[in-house]
Amino acid sequence: MDKKKQKKILILAIQAGKIMMKSGAEIYRVEDTITRICKACGIDYVNVFATPTGIFVSIDNENGDDTVTYIKRIKSSETNLSKISQVNDFSRKFTTTDLSVEDGMKMLDEIDAERKYPLTVRIIGAGFVASCFSTMFGGNVIDFLIAFIAGMICYVCSRFLEKFEVNFFIRGLCCCALAAFLALVAQASVDGAGYGTIVTGCLMLFVPGVAITNSIRDFLSGDMVSGLARMVEAILTAVALAAGSGIVIKLWYIAGGFGL
Amino acid sequence: MMGLLLQFVLAVFATLGFAIIFRVPVRHMVPCVVVGALGWVTYEVTLYCIDSASVGCFVAACAVGLLSTVCAYVFKDASTIFVIPGILCLVPGSKIFQTMEALLLHEMENAAEIGLQTLMMAGSIAIGLLTVGAVSNIAIKIVKKLRTIV
Repeated sequence: MDKKKQKKILILAIQAGKIMMKSGAEIYRVEDTITRICKACGIDYVNVFATPTGIFVSIDNENGDDTVTYIKRIKSSETNLSKISQVNDFSRKFTTTDLSVEDGMKMLDEIDAERKYPLTVRIIGAGFVASCFSTMFGGNVIDFLIAFIAGMICYVCSRFLEKFEVNFFIRGLCCCALAAFLALVAQASVDGAGYGTIVTGCLMLFVPGVAITNSIRDFLSGDMVSGLARMVEAILTAVALAAGSGIVIKLWYIAGGFGL
Repeated sequence: MMGLLLQFVLAVFATLGFAIIFRVPVRHMVPCVVVGALGWVTYEVTLYCIDSASVGCFVAACAVGLLSTVCAYVFKDASTIFVIPGILCLVPGSKIFQTMEALLLHEMENAAEIGLQTLMMAGSIAIGLLTVGAVSNIAIKIVKKLRTIV
């Protein structure tokens, strides 16, 4: 196999891995996909080491004298389960049929270009999350309605901060501070609203569920480094959420409002 | 019973919200939402029967893990798609908030107690998922072995 073809396959495999990792797949799945794609193209020696922030792939030919290593740094990540599903399908298709590398690359680009659901739909979804959780944790109908609006506003705020590439800690902190502020204002102005359930509902929007789930699955498959990294991410996010809402509630109290 | 039904409906909409935010493909939306809602109902029922939040989380996480493994098998897709929205309902967001509230009030004993509960609930979710993961791994291997023999 000539070097050019080898490189193309490597780039294809790593692109598939990168899309999966960015969308929030487990390490095991990323490594498995890359290995499968390379093996399907006739490269026998493949070694992959994937972490949430970078993928390292090394391939070699049968004689062992032509090692190529590729490092891909992964910067931002955004959970998109549809992309994971599509790359999964792609790797199955690629390994079972004789798709050319160029066609494969085109398909991957199409998958990568896929958008999320429209923003308005997502905002309404966020409203549902916040309002339903606030009621599940013991809120009444008024809490439900306020949490719906507060959840939508918090989600917009989170999107806005994401646009400016604010890191996840500050983002969680700001969004929960906003949620707490909105909830306190609501309690002050609307009869029968309790800030506790409203804040909790909005908080659920930002809880690190993806990080927790993935860190456990990484531990299970023996990827300790990634498991630890994601575990720390989960803990930091939880701290940010608590700190954000805590700061605002305390300030409100000091400023002479009710609360606590 | 009515309360449980209401909880189920609320959990359906909450999971639906997560599914939209995390862009679950439309064709998997229904199983995904059902997994999440059943997970939450399992938690509520266990909480009612045993009165321990961490046991509830463990059982519910097992349920979510098991159901999503089945869904992954039936719909031939990555189990991540079904697990993530389901588990998100179980993450102890309210306990995080209560811990913080207790800290603000300088009720250290209370804060320690609820904080420990939060950690235990998170740990239970982890152990639940680990258990299901390990068991399903073994089950899949046994099935594959049996297929090669037969």
